[in-house]
Amino acid sequence: MPITARLAVLLSSYLLAPVLPAAVTHSVNEDNGLRGWRLLEGDIEIELIQRLPDQTRALFMNHGFSREVIEQLALSCMFQTIIRNTGVSGTEQIVAIDLTSWRMRHDGRAQGILLKEPLLESWSDADADKAAKLVVQWGMFPTRQEYLPSDYNWGLTAYGIPPGAIFDLDVTWQEGGRQRTGRIPGIVCAPDVDKLK
Amino acid sequence: MRFTVFTCALLFAGSVFAAQVLSPVGQQVMAPDFELPDTEGRMHRLSDYRGKTVIINFWTTWCPPCREEIPSMNRAWNTLQQEDVVILAINMGEDEDTIFIFTADYPADFPLLLDREGEVIASWPVKGLPTTYVVAPDGRIAYRAIGGREWDDPEFIRKIRDLRAQ
Repeated sequence: MPITARLAVLLSSYLLAPVLPAAVTHSVNEDNGLRGWRLLEGDIEIELIQRLPDQTRALFMNHGFSREVIEQLALSCMFQTIIRNTGVSGTEQIVAIDLTSWRMRHDGRAQGILLKEPLLESWSDADADKAAKLVVQWGMFPTRQEYLPSDYNWGLTAYGIPPGAIFDLDVTWQEGGRQRTGRIPGIVCAPDVDKLK
Repeated sequence: MRFTVFTCALLFAGSVFAAQVLSPVGQQVMAPDFELPDTEGRMHRLSDYRGKTVIINFWTTWCPPCREEIPSMNRAWNTLQQEDVVILAINMGEDEDTIFIFTADYPADFPLLLDREGEVIASWPVKGLPTTYVVAPDGRIAYRAIGGREWDDPEFIRKIRDLRAQ
């Protein structure tokens, strides 16, 4: 086989390679029953913890949102999300995330996750006043961010699928300038109140 | 047995402190000036504190790591307030009543400033909460921390004290 063809095969196998399973653990909070998923790989830790729709309603109530927008947010499968540069490599590497490159797999389709910018742009002043938009601006996870060792951020990520739905999440990040990938399989959106009885 | 438990506790405590870093800001970045009221109605202008080290913390009451770091920040304040170090905790978007109720559970002796419209936080390079900057006496940003920290960590206190000597 000519060298160019070999290179093409190598490159395509690299590009088309499935996302390899990373070190993912699953937990259940004994006090409230909420489930969590944690990916620990290289210098990054990504943790997703279920949020009940009622928790989201409580957060956004009394902040100047219309009832429709509160329901939209509550039923958008939100997770409390923590991303941390664990710095375990000791190389002082910067970890960078870009949520536009994350993909969720649900019902056989791959799609991007919900980002705060299009949400904010979609709302009129009647949907959400200025104070309300500030809560989303600072409550939802930043779309892009860099972390030095021991930096971490906490915020909400949203996936736009119904309560109880199950999805896989393909995450990407840069570590010391190098692209890394991982998959968190079988994430379950928290059920709504009527399903808890 | 008691020794083993004590040793494990020490090792664990050591690893917690070892895990947290106050990251130096390499470039010469001057802190953006601002003027904001605190919860007592007093105005604070950052440039009025030139000559002192100023710790600027951006926070809200509904952000869990913001809440978690307040007790250690208060301990750091009690240690450093007589040493030309100022802590200004800038609350983003909330009102005096909300903060008043909050401080019943999380007492803070340092000034809590109100950025009701989020205009000051927008002029700083903040992406998430909490984010904290340490401003050197000459007005440049010396350190930053994204996410909560244990602010009374002796290594942090030393770094903050050392800024005065530079």
